[in-house]
Amino acid sequence: MNTNNGGTEIRLPDLGEIDEVRVVQWLKEVGATLAEDDDLLEVETEKTTFVVPAPIAGQLSEIVAAEGATVKRGGVLGRIGQHE
Amino acid sequence: MAGLGSTSRPAFHLPLGRAEYGETLELQRALHARRKTGAIPDTVITVEHDPVITFGRSSSREHLLVSSQELEREGVALFEVERGGDVTYHGPGQLVVYPIVDLREHGRDVKRFVGRLEDATIATLADLKIASGRRDGYPGVWVEHRKIASIGVYVRGWVSRHGLALNVAVNQAHFAMINPCGLSVQMVSACDLSDQPITIERVRAVFLDRMSEQFGWRLEEASLAEILGDEDE
Repeated sequence: MNTNNGGTEIRLPDLGEIDEVRVVQWLKEVGATLAEDDDLLEVETEKTTFVVPAPIAGQLSEIVAAEGATVKRGGVLGRIGQHE
Repeated sequence: MAGLGSTSRPAFHLPLGRAEYGETLELQRALHARRKTGAIPDTVITVEHDPVITFGRSSSREHLLVSSQELEREGVALFEVERGGDVTYHGPGQLVVYPIVDLREHGRDVKRFVGRLEDATIATLADLKIASGRRDGYPGVWVEHRKIASIGVYVRGWVSRHGLALNVAVNQAHFAMINPCGLSVQMVSACDLSDQPITIERVRAVFLDRMSEQFGWRLEEASLAEILGDEDE
């Protein structure tokens, strides 16, 4: 997990033998306060909706993969900033 | 492959018989929560639904081919749900299987999970002397160009709900109300592919055996009260 000024990257979790997913919907808006493991967004692959949890607590600072976007294995979905 | 040896894990089967979609959906959500906390082992719900059309997360309304008045006249309910996939029809003569499974105990692999459901279906149909298979990129089970089983799953906290619908003897006219999965494919039922009479009870029994092999379960029938667990238990 890389940390820089933009915050901590939210990466697509390892879902097994899956090469890519499609972002269905974000369940939180930019600026939302997150607890670790909060439901963050839904992705779909193989007729399966998978709910991606927040990897850490913080504030959702950026959505990188918008709804409808295709994300490859390990790809960046968004970023989480720490509380000030 | 996991067998029925000493390594098999206990799992529950909850047979609902015939049930309305909405109440089964609520039940799935309750069992999902209990599976997440580890209060229950992997649990398989089997059910035959009253006629219903459901939209998954990737549904297009254009794939519903009839008006709401027609649905009402036919007594078909409509639900928008969290599973993956496009529009699906459920109704009498269809074996619906909802595995409430912790994927962390089965390799944390979404594709393998779906593959196990498909393989259990293919093995069940083989037992009925019906040859079926997978189609790359099109989850579900196919008999040549026709679809015999549909898949639509939801995974949260690595626990699944929703699942698979296998057509045993479905009213073909009801399938005409939708463009199934948005693929313009034809649906087919097992009974149309066999010379022998096929009952849903037999298909269910075989399916549960094949599924237990796939997941390494020692399946035990449980009552709703046991699974929902009364507070004083």
